[in-house]
Amino acid sequence: MRNYEIMFIVSPNAAEEDIDKINSQIEGVITAGGGKAEKIEKLGKRRLAYIVNKFREGSYVLFTIQADGAIIREVERRLRVMDLVIKYLTVRMDDDMKRLDKIKAHRQKRAARRGRAHAEAGERRGASPVEQMPEE
Amino acid sequence: MAIQKQYYRRKKVCKFCVERIDNINYKDVKLLSQFVPERSKIMPRRISGVCTPHQRLLSDAIKKARNIALLPFASE
Repeated sequence: MRNYEIMFIVSPNAAEEDIDKINSQIEGVITAGGGKAEKIEKLGKRRLAYIVNKFREGSYVLFTIQADGAIIREVERRLRVMDLVIKYLTVRMDDDMKRLDKIKAHRQKRAARRGRAHAEAGERRGASPVEQMPEE
Repeated sequence: MAIQKQYYRRKKVCKFCVERIDNINYKDVKLLSQFVPERSKIMPRRISGVCTPHQRLLSDAIKKARNIALLPFASE
């Protein structure tokens, strides 16, 4: 299972209920395949940066999901078939998340080390150890 | 024989390193649009001063954003 984000644009003519219907359909596909829809976000209507299918604006929807390749393939096929969906994009997130966690862990380690070094220096000088972590 | 520069040029620094922005996300249009001038080309490193690893992440994010119509491919 991998983490993905699927973002798609629904045509501006679609009613709110239509969007909800699409969302529940997609969610159904994901859960049926054994995946999990972690977050479904309606980002609202936005102006498109360029014209897509003669539309200048569209409603964005963002899915944050856990799934595997087969589910993604099925979801993308469904999105392609739907007339109201004018564009979609799937992005794999787990590599990115791993990278961010690594950077975060590295930062924390460095901050901790620096804090300790400060404290030791303080003791040697006979002063009380520094309580606060130095600002990064 | 080097000609001495008449004026002092400020050293460019990578915005992402300085502000410690780790997450260059394709959804963050506000951040990305700082690096696409009006012709909507990706700003080169020599102008923006972004470091190589961050420029790579940045250009990936901009290309994703273009795909989902958050940023333009080209504009006059």
